[in-house]
Amino acid sequence: MAGNRATKRLDITGDCCPITFVKTKLALEEMQPGEILEVLLKDGDPLANVPRSLKDEGHRILQVQQVNSDTYLLIVERGKGE
Amino acid sequence: MKPAMTSDYKDIDFNQLKRGGFIKQQGPDLFVMRLRSIGGYLTSQDLENIARLARKYGRGEVHLTTRQGVEIPGVRLADYRELIAEIENLQLLPGACGPRIRSIVGCPGREVCPNGVVDTQAMARQVDQAFFGREVPAKFKIAIAGCPNACTKPRENDIGLQGVVYPQLVVDRCSLCGLCQFICPGGAIKIIDGRVTIDRQKCCGDGACVASCPTGAWTAGARGFVLYAGGKMGRRPRLGDRMFNLIPEDGVIPRINSVLQVFIKYRQGNERLADTIERLGSGGFRELILSLSREEVAAGGRE
Repeated sequence: MAGNRATKRLDITGDCCPITFVKTKLALEEMQPGEILEVLLKDGDPLANVPRSLKDEGHRILQVQQVNSDTYLLIVERGKGE
Repeated sequence: MKPAMTSDYKDIDFNQLKRGGFIKQQGPDLFVMRLRSIGGYLTSQDLENIARLARKYGRGEVHLTTRQGVEIPGVRLADYRELIAEIENLQLLPGACGPRIRSIVGCPGREVCPNGVVDTQAMARQVDQAFFGREVPAKFKIAIAGCPNACTKPRENDIGLQGVVYPQLVVDRCSLCGLCQFICPGGAIKIIDGRVTIDRQKCCGDGACVASCPTGAWTAGARGFVLYAGGKMGRRPRLGDRMFNLIPEDGVIPRINSVLQVFIKYRQGNERLADTIERLGSGGFRELILSLSREEVAAGGRE
């Protein structure tokens, strides 16, 4: 499971846009290309927007898991950019 | 201070005046000069020029209209000729009033907005060029939205365009990450037994799957515009009816033209398009559009 390789875990379930994406972006910037970040986030706007923005910045979503009725776990591979 | 009234101020070009944008306001000899944007964009140079005109001819203030225009209140009739000459010179665009096709409202579209699935700005320029200011039986408003969020309220306009994209799956690129089934606003996508399925009836054309898909497996199949017709606000508001589900970009202008032709032919008195459609029924109106000949649509183009 990709999750086992994760080097960092971020919980943005208490945040709303644009904090959700900004926190995720900053977390990824401190990591090396190829490292794995786990992001715990809520459905609705965060789930609709954060993965799309991550794709825009060259990161890669490996897996999405539903944790409970309104919470999801994104497994993100840090991209090569910056 | 106001510039002094010139002696020949009554020598007004009525043809110019007829094109609209110069509107009587409260108070003796006071008018509003209405300027338009196309799809809501003005350059910083436009803004500087408008600010200068508002100081010179008005009261140093502007009012932002509901149709993304800028109005300069407090202009005197004596200054009209000089003001309109300056406006032309500065390549600012006068607005419209009365029974004409009004400013084209548009959201930023896919160039700027992550939700956008079509280029609303290019479409706004096309529609403006083809139709703005045209004299029609009643005021006629057109708005363009870049996605089904419909921020520019296309259904509150006589004609509303709304961008849609219908996705196509390239199966061998799919990593089965599961994202699309969780974010699909219509709940159309389901992963069943390791296979991605889509229920086309439930697809709203948001393009969320295309935008988010990490591997580019979801691609844009068909992209275009939904056309709503017969919306209006005022005393008896009515939401526009969904007339056409998917018009490709290059089919939009002829389609708007055909709606206008049927409206002009079948309206009674000075009713709005909303009233004509209410009277004929949405289906009936649509039939009339489809029965127009190619020649009739072409003849409805800009003179």
